[in-house]
Amino acid sequence: MSSPAGLSAEMNAGGEMITFPRTPIRVLVLDDHPAVRWGLIQLLEDQPDLDVAAVATTAETAVGQAEHEGVEVAVVDYQLGGRNGLWATRKLKALPARPRVVIFSAFANDHLAAACAVAGVDALVNKGSLGDELCYAIRAVRRGRRLLPRVSPAMADLLRRRLDDYEQVTFGMLLAGIPCSMIERSLGVSGSELAARKAGMLVKLEALPGELSSSGEPAHRLGPGCMQLDFERILPR
Amino acid sequence: MDSEPRRGYLPLFGRIVLANAVVLLAACFAIFVVLSPVRISELVTDEVLIVTLCLVTLVNILLVRRAAIPIQHVAAFAQRIDPRAPGTRFPGASARSEAGELALAFNEMLERLEKERADSARSVLAAHESERLRVARELHDEVGQTLTAVLLQLSRMRGRLGDQLKPELTEAQEAVRASLEDVRRIASELRPETLADLRLASALTTLGDTFSRRTGIAVRQDIQTALPFLTDETELVVYRVAQEALTNVGRHSGSEQADLTLSGGIGHLALSVRDYGHGLGDQERADGKGLLGMRERAAAVGGKLKIGPPAHGPGSEVKLDVPVEALR
Repeated sequence: MSSPAGLSAEMNAGGEMITFPRTPIRVLVLDDHPAVRWGLIQLLEDQPDLDVAAVATTAETAVGQAEHEGVEVAVVDYQLGGRNGLWATRKLKALPARPRVVIFSAFANDHLAAACAVAGVDALVNKGSLGDELCYAIRAVRRGRRLLPRVSPAMADLLRRRLDDYEQVTFGMLLAGIPCSMIERSLGVSGSELAARKAGMLVKLEALPGELSSSGEPAHRLGPGCMQLDFERILPR
Repeated sequence: MDSEPRRGYLPLFGRIVLANAVVLLAACFAIFVVLSPVRISELVTDEVLIVTLCLVTLVNILLVRRAAIPIQHVAAFAQRIDPRAPGTRFPGASARSEAGELALAFNEMLERLEKERADSARSVLAAHESERLRVARELHDEVGQTLTAVLLQLSRMRGRLGDQLKPELTEAQEAVRASLEDVRRIASELRPETLADLRLASALTTLGDTFSRRTGIAVRQDIQTALPFLTDETELVVYRVAQEALTNVGRHSGSEQADLTLSGGIGHLALSVRDYGHGLGDQERADGKGLLGMRERAAAVGGKLKIGPPAHGPGSEVKLDVPVEALR
């Protein structure tokens, strides 16, 4: 009874479960590692208010599936075999339904957080966090919240230097969490112009390696070794 | 032998022969012309003959010595050569004597050997780095992902288990989380991807911060951000030397503070890692390997590494100077 659990729980419980939406949130899982994918599906399927509507292993196939299945929230790994999670985010955000995107990554550092803000990601969740946090993030972004870790001023400054003047303004607004519609209005650009500018910025931030990377190096730019946000558990010695 | 006609000096052999000939001729001249043979018997006693012979021998020795001394200088220089400090050459070597040519040839040989050494060090280091990258990726892609999956499983079980088992489950979760973090830390030490993403200055800042957080040793950083153009290889060498030097500070120096300095100008880049501990000595012995590794890295990019006491104050300092090619 795991798959329709959301629906039945809602019907059985009726008035008692008013905190859940009337229908479970339709989630897409995109991860190229089978064990993680399986773990994610199991975890999400256990939640009465979440429904894994689609499962994908590559960014390219995920977009079509999301559109076809009417996905509301996509849980996306940053580092995938081919195109990365931010590429998928941009494509997903270009769909008419504009699904919410949660990046579930092992490299949840502030460089990635900045890139996520530019790509339009709604939440960034560390792969080392507990399942509860991921479920919480999914529900929160569905309600329209934005859960991106704060980018340290030093990192923001460092990244800003790679951008030109126009991009710097946009970058600052995106980091501050100002919605795209407001940015378009205040800068007087169209939606497609803003999208193109964001794509250019992502390339400069080296977060879209497959695209036009200046160095010509393939994938794995934000690889293992980026500064992690949570240092608490680093052992002495 | 084709160099023979180009020689612009009298060969050593010729000079010795000449010196001997001149001395002998002078002696003969004195005997046969100045003092005629008739008077020899009455003038030249045994004593005079002995003195004259001694004089001739002495002059001969002095002349031959003059010709041989430069060769001894070259030999002494060759003995002084320290393979750990490349770039030393015999000063003032010129093709104006055999010894000069020997020095020139010696300098050329040093050049070739150093280049050879740098090349082989470079290929060994490249092999090391690619292996480290492979291990780091494997750690992340396999071990890290599997641990993530386990963590998700545990999270899921949490929702299903009774309250009795929850503390134990929490413990298991924490253990998995800790290993996941360890895996990431190890991967990041194996392969500093921050370097590829953020370039040297920021990667060093991150390195200093991480080191400081992990060891509790304060790192005073003075890192110039506007640097000359650096190749990936140079950046990696500088990063690794800083990493190794900081590791040594943490392990052996007993210092509570370290200085991490990077400065660069046209044509050169200088890194310095300094501590305020109990100096070198046992550190050098205890971790010879690490120091050797730093030297090899430095040699691979034609840099110079100096390890020793700082200009003033206690502790020790690792200094790396790397020549930087002009902008392409």
